[in-house]
Amino acid sequence: MNYTSQNQKDRKEMIEAIGVNDVSELFDVIPKSLRAKDLNIAGGKTEQELLNCFSDIASKNKVLTSFRGAGVYDHFIPSLVSEVIGRSEFWTAYTPYQAEASQGTLQTIFEYQSLICALTGLDTSNASLYDGATAVTEATLLALRVSRKNKILISSALHPEYIQVLKTYLENSKVKLVFLDVSRDGAVKKESLDMNFDENTAAVIIQSPNYFGVIEDMQALSVITKKKNSLFVAVVNPLSLGVFKAPGEYDADIAVGEGQVLGSSMSMGGATFGFMAVKKALEWKMPGRIIGQTVDKRGNRGFVLTLQSREQHIRREKATSNICTNASLNALAGCVFLSGWGNCGFKKLAEINISKARYAYNKIKSLKGFKSKFGGDEVFFNEFVIETQKDVDRINKVLLENDILGPLDLSAYHRTLVSLGLPETQENFKKCLLFCVTEQRNKCEIDKLVEILSKI
Amino acid sequence: MNIPEDLKYTKTHEWVKIDGNKAKVGITDFAQHEITDIVHIEFPEIGKQVKKEQPVVVIESVKSAFDIYAPLSGKIININNDILESPEVVNRSPYGEGYLFTVEFYDEKEIESLLSADDYKKLI
Amino acid sequence: MEKLLNELSTECCPAYNLDSDIEIDVQVPENLKRNLSLGLPNVAESDLLRHFTNLSRKNYALSTTFYPLGSCTMKYNPLVNERIAKFDNFTKLHPYQDSKTIQGVLEIMYNLEKDLCEISGMDCFSLQQAAGAHGEFASLLIIAKYFKSIKQKRTKIIVPDSAHGTNPASAAFAGFDIVPLKSESDGSIVPEKLKEILTPETAAIMLTVPNTLGTFEKNILEISKIIHKNGSLLYYDGANLNAVMGMVRPGDMGFDIMHINLHKTFSTPHGGGGPGSGPVGVKAFLEPFLPVPKIESKGNEFILNYEKPESIGKLKAFVGNFPVILKAYVYIKSLGAKGLKNVSEQAVLNANYMLARLKDKIDVPAGCRCMHEFVLAPKALFKNAVRTLDVAKRLLDCGYYAPTVYFPLIVEEAIMIEPTETESKETLDTFVDALIKIILEEASLEPQKLKDAPISTAVGRLNEVEAARNPILKWK
Repeated sequence: MNYTSQNQKDRKEMIEAIGVNDVSELFDVIPKSLRAKDLNIAGGKTEQELLNCFSDIASKNKVLTSFRGAGVYDHFIPSLVSEVIGRSEFWTAYTPYQAEASQGTLQTIFEYQSLICALTGLDTSNASLYDGATAVTEATLLALRVSRKNKILISSALHPEYIQVLKTYLENSKVKLVFLDVSRDGAVKKESLDMNFDENTAAVIIQSPNYFGVIEDMQALSVITKKKNSLFVAVVNPLSLGVFKAPGEYDADIAVGEGQVLGSSMSMGGATFGFMAVKKALEWKMPGRIIGQTVDKRGNRGFVLTLQSREQHIRREKATSNICTNASLNALAGCVFLSGWGNCGFKKLAEINISKARYAYNKIKSLKGFKSKFGGDEVFFNEFVIETQKDVDRINKVLLENDILGPLDLSAYHRTLVSLGLPETQENFKKCLLFCVTEQRNKCEIDKLVEILSKI
Repeated sequence: MNIPEDLKYTKTHEWVKIDGNKAKVGITDFAQHEITDIVHIEFPEIGKQVKKEQPVVVIESVKSAFDIYAPLSGKIININNDILESPEVVNRSPYGEGYLFTVEFYDEKEIESLLSADDYKKLI
Repeated sequence: MEKLLNELSTECCPAYNLDSDIEIDVQVPENLKRNLSLGLPNVAESDLLRHFTNLSRKNYALSTTFYPLGSCTMKYNPLVNERIAKFDNFTKLHPYQDSKTIQGVLEIMYNLEKDLCEISGMDCFSLQQAAGAHGEFASLLIIAKYFKSIKQKRTKIIVPDSAHGTNPASAAFAGFDIVPLKSESDGSIVPEKLKEILTPETAAIMLTVPNTLGTFEKNILEISKIIHKNGSLLYYDGANLNAVMGMVRPGDMGFDIMHINLHKTFSTPHGGGGPGSGPVGVKAFLEPFLPVPKIESKGNEFILNYEKPESIGKLKAFVGNFPVILKAYVYIKSLGAKGLKNVSEQAVLNANYMLARLKDKIDVPAGCRCMHEFVLAPKALFKNAVRTLDVAKRLLDCGYYAPTVYFPLIVEEAIMIEPTETESKETLDTFVDALIKIILEEASLEPQKLKDAPISTAVGRLNEVEAARNPILKWK
């Protein structure tokens, strides 16, 4: 293919206007010794060839019926979402630097910010971050910045990849990460939180639902945190907020999370978006873009990038973050997703997720050789942990033969945590399976899963 | 350009009003004009120890941010909280209501290095 | 004026609704239950479709308008890339699927890494980073880890004053001290000045080649020598790679590490601010430090290798922005070696043609030749309190998105123009005509027309001061 649009005549005229003999002369400034040889890159395919070629490659991937989550979830995406993000006026626009010519992007981000604030119960949202993992990291850095302290207490039931990303970012800093123990019921030990505070503790970071799907008692954890004058950072699944307490209700200072569940396809876990909402007092310290409402010369409502002096293009090395390009189109998907349910519909969506997961959980834990890891009283969303006496590899092999993506084997999880510096005293997750059931799974699929498990 | 005679100045466009061992500090009329519309101000915490010429306050316009430097070494004993909510006051009244902070200074000798109104006039 | 969603909200049936074939039975303990109203709007699908469609029409986009945004490489985004990225066998994949069931994905990532190596002259790539700044940050962590591994304490990064703001921000984020380097009026670096600020603590210098003024760094070989003699590393900001594909390779110039913006050079759409992708390329000696997982080929199979003890770790969850990676790879396969070289030739030709038409009328600090973009300095021509911002707004009325303005910071009232290779001569001509008319005629004869602009957009000039002084950041 050739996407340039100059013909021979144009080229000739342009070369003459510049005053050179040919195009190569324009590159004379590059030292001869550096000139590249012809690149060895196959290509030059037509559109039709590309479609055939990539259909072939795509067929080497397998779409499965998913009972696996761990940070990326198979959720329903309404047709309107694909229609809107498919509008070329949105996907071929740049960052809205010229506000008057970007009101579409700006107003949708403003709506997105409003929806995120409504969901989380907090005051101010930014325009999006790369993903849930980097959102947790940015929240941590924000907490460190405003508190001027250097210790962070963090749930060891936070998604291990989020912990990994956080550790990567903090590699060259003097920040001390202290991991909070998880108790037998799958939630953070409150005593562990109480115990680990000192005057240097900047913030407490808790994920709910946590990596195991368990809903934490955020209210209680936040109360302890506030008594010690630290910031409380809630890492939440936005869908769960249809039913469970909003971060604003338990006085969280910062809420962050992964936005994939709001209208983005799984696509190998990216591109998605991360969201961040904060209390008003923190808004000038927040990373990333923020859109504000204002008026034009005639008094009409309009929207602009605002509080920009926080950002890298102005503040350079003193910016609140280096982030520039973020995940605008996925945030737009999130906006369209959140705009069409109404309060009741959104609550019902969360309830369907809970009910279906609970249905599968009850069936699986009553099978011979399977039991609940956390005792059976845990409250969970989408995901739950089952301990089994069966051969875990065989379970997933047989499920795969049935085109089912089975539960995540947690046996490697323990090793991952230890490699991240978590204490050896953690619960052992050998022979444990992390199941996930969303609203996308129907009764028939769940029953089939249970039946296959029962025969192993 | 308004440059009151009774104040001392810095090369970095701060004004200083000495009163005993305390100095009230703000930005000059010239500075507020250059910065244009001020939209946000970031203060240090009260009690902070500062060194002469160390950046202590950040003043922000829509598209820029400016460091404001301590004219004298000492301790910040007061900041002008009133302008946090209405930073435009600094544009309107840089030498009055729009002052920034008060520093309790240690070394009187440092005053000698400050500029007089005439010196500052020449500078700009 | 388009209403806001909360203003559209009524008692109607909302757009989406789900049913469950399993009984909905939810008991939530009081201490965990949400009591706060959700505050979500109730809008019918037909109204939502109109709302978002109307909003989309208030955007200037590449699909509607010439977008000569300097430094952003707003080239045409081929539709076939989008179509392929929507295949179910790409979108419906879970990142924790057994690698045997995602061989297509891994093959694409593996081969894209190889192609990027060939284009850049680097030895290895990581595709995990989600944007250019993310790639810069990863690179700086790699640099830090490298010096740690050879037990050298190097804490400083040199950044020219013409660099993108992300450069110093990323370096500071990674824990380095920034040493600014003053560049010449054409954005170039004088080797002697560089020598003066080098110390045993200098870890690296970050260079954009061609630089943000659109000129090729003619002293690059000498700079490379000086930097390496000092034991420091040379970092390539790939934001401007579109100028030199198939012409010269960063790896051959002596760069040790670099990032590429797939959403610039490799035609993946910008999406109004992302998602992007910022692959990081390194020379072999830095390979052990790349993020995990590494995609490897083992026998007939591709695998994800997490066992890299010296790796900096992970920059984001999972493997990277796969749809963006995929689109970039389709683009490379559509062009091949010849097509890629043609891209750079045409991009440089287009920019030089525009420059040739403008250079005698408006001051150009970097001289009469450029690579893929150039910077105008119209300040001397401005009377009547007209500023570059007014020119930008007036261009919107002429039906163009505005070029990048007030960047690079070293040029006062800068206008930075990057046409890209996918624009026709006719588009370039009409844009140049408009720009000349605005700056040379209207600015003097009808300054008010510029001050009042834009008048043809969805809203007139917006009050940014008020927006920042009294922030309204969500629905009231």
